[in-house]
Amino acid sequence: MLAVFLLYTSIAGGTPQLRPSQLAGRTAEVTIVGKVVGPVSGDARRAGLRFRLQDVEGDAKSAIRVVYKGSVPDMFRAGRDISLKGRLQGAVFVGAPGTLVTKCPSKYSAKKS
Amino acid sequence: MAELGRAALLVALGALAFSSLVGGFAAWSGRRRLVLAARNALVAAFGASLVASAVLVVALASRDFSFEYVAKTSSRDLPLLYAVSSFWGGQEGSLLLWLLLLTGFSTAAVALNRRLRIELLAWVVPVLATIALFFAALLVFLESPFQLQAAPADGAGLNPSLQNPYMLIHPVLLYLGFVGMSVPFAFAVAGLLARRTDEWWVVATRRWMLAAWLFLGVGQLLGARWAYLEIGWGGYYGWDPVENAALMPWLIATAYLHSIMVQEKKGMLRVWNVLLVILAFELSIFGTLLTRSGLIESVHAFARSPIGAWFVAFLTLTTIASLALVFARLPILRTQTKLESPVSREATFLYNNLLLVAFCLTILWGVIYPLISEAVLGEPITVSQPYYNFFLRAFGLPLLLLMGIGPLIAWRRASLRSLGRTFIWPFGGALASGVILVAAGAGSSPAGLIAYTFSAFVMGAILLEFIRGTRARAALSGRPAAASLLSLISLNRRRYGGYVVHSAVVLLAVGVAGSSAYQTVREARLLPGDTLAAADYRLRFERLADRQAANHKRRRAILSVERQGQAAGTLEPGKNVYPVSERQPLFSTEVAVRTNWLRGEDLYVVADQINPDGSVDLTVYVKPLVNLIWIGGFVFILGSLIALWPDAREQRRLALRYGEAPVAITA
Repeated sequence: MLAVFLLYTSIAGGTPQLRPSQLAGRTAEVTIVGKVVGPVSGDARRAGLRFRLQDVEGDAKSAIRVVYKGSVPDMFRAGRDISLKGRLQGAVFVGAPGTLVTKCPSKYSAKKS
Repeated sequence: MAELGRAALLVALGALAFSSLVGGFAAWSGRRRLVLAARNALVAAFGASLVASAVLVVALASRDFSFEYVAKTSSRDLPLLYAVSSFWGGQEGSLLLWLLLLTGFSTAAVALNRRLRIELLAWVVPVLATIALFFAALLVFLESPFQLQAAPADGAGLNPSLQNPYMLIHPVLLYLGFVGMSVPFAFAVAGLLARRTDEWWVVATRRWMLAAWLFLGVGQLLGARWAYLEIGWGGYYGWDPVENAALMPWLIATAYLHSIMVQEKKGMLRVWNVLLVILAFELSIFGTLLTRSGLIESVHAFARSPIGAWFVAFLTLTTIASLALVFARLPILRTQTKLESPVSREATFLYNNLLLVAFCLTILWGVIYPLISEAVLGEPITVSQPYYNFFLRAFGLPLLLLMGIGPLIAWRRASLRSLGRTFIWPFGGALASGVILVAAGAGSSPAGLIAYTFSAFVMGAILLEFIRGTRARAALSGRPAAASLLSLISLNRRRYGGYVVHSAVVLLAVGVAGSSAYQTVREARLLPGDTLAAADYRLRFERLADRQAANHKRRRAILSVERQGQAAGTLEPGKNVYPVSERQPLFSTEVAVRTNWLRGEDLYVVADQINPDGSVDLTVYVKPLVNLIWIGGFVFILGSLIALWPDAREQRRLALRYGEAPVAITA
């Protein structure tokens, strides 16, 4: 059992999933899940989209700065929960292209989106 | 109105409680009249669920926003068809759909199996009723779609990305598949409870499983098609937990549909098949849980909801109870027959089963890995595409190969010499295709090359089977080839329907390999007049255009397309703008696709960003052979229908074998 667990885990090579407030000092690749704090500025297809992310159930104190280049889902906007893969570089979390995913808020009750 | 809905749910709950408890007692004590009463209560629960569903449909159609559910899933400007489809757009409605389908299936299963022996029916009824009771209880006590409120002026509306024709039918098909798995499960468990361990339940529910499997398969393909056209990332399957939720029971059902042939033919694998049907059922409940509870973070998931805990409890209890039952019946369930040779038809079925189940469990592991790693390591760790793609190749490619080997190999024991003779043509064909493909440059992706070569092998094997069968038939009947082919298929519907499904899987494999391993992607920001080249295509951005539609505005980038220097029409990718609130409109990216059916290729264009200066950011994908996936979908339906089609000769044969003068119970 343990061997299978280790084997799969090593092949899986997964990515830790963190909240913005847990990010301090982590420089390996992680996925962060948080709530977008405006203002959202910049250009995702050029220098990058800039915004901040805070804990979903937290306040602005937990927010980190984020820069992201790549395609942006339709539902992305301030106030929405997202997940993003990337790594911390200095004080800014740099997202990997194409890994920005918006979580469907229950208001829209998306069964499959 | 809402009172009527609530009352109907209460009636359903009561009828199901009766059917479950009294029915269970009746089965245990062998009281015939109580058995029939329990059966009638189950049918009555279907009637009550129909009434409750009708109330919800009327409320949705009339946009009665005093229903909380209607207000949160629909709005005044939503077209009627989408408004009614909000029935399954939210949690409460989806649970009601489960209840409606399950009681409906139960009624049909009881009605279609009128000749079922009463001691078996006696157990089938309470098992089905208990499953339905769970959903009825959730609807009555936790998640009622009939909660009232002071009606707001307008509803919150349906997510624009769900306002798509594929979304009208995709969820229903998945639910038909999920719920359909309950019937074979109930028959298997009833057989164990009644100490009847032969193949009767396999035979009685083969078509149920096949139909559920077909619905689940088509539902997933439609979901993939929807994602391809609506999400705008050029893909069709992202290994998201909710996509996996439907794939897992489908894989197990696939394994089951193969392994029951071994049981029917050789009486082997009885325990295995019962375990498979239990696993398929539990995975369909787990699938519903995944889509409905937000247990695992997913693009699709709802906010965390209280029903999650109840689902986990139900899942745990039914799993433990089923496994305990199997364990208790092991002495009478075990078979004496052993595998005679590792080179035989039954052995290939066994390998196919092991691979399918291993693949399913691997996916399951990936889905629950965040939960496990959080428990063990204190931090959730997610796995993504590379993990799944690795195992898709590791298990999928051998499965593809087996699909070519299996049908050609003899039952019991095959000699190496006969194998050589049988395989020479398909093997030669595969080798030749491999050489041609390498010469054509397909060697850039080893996995793609292997998939293509194996596909050629399987197609060769299938063609050979059809040719041989037709020849033998023609020699026997003296009729022309076309007529012989038709009578061959009609006389062996399961076998040749199965082969047609296999060829659909080959098309799927070729389409997936082609569109992922050999695609071209280009990105650029274009101003009007600029051009962009991708593979054989050249696109020129002409201008932006705005149009007003019923409940949204359409912004489009008009592109003229050339292929190999020839004009090939225009494409109009863009965004729809839904003004749901003044300050923050909702967007929906609309991709533009030009399909070349002859080559099976798509030119797929996304307008990622339309900028204030009039420029547009485009991503262009050229995806070779991607349309074989959708064509494969139609072939899949065709093959499944051939295998499903009722066969009077088969019925008579089975009646002789399992009939033993069944007691009519249509009192």
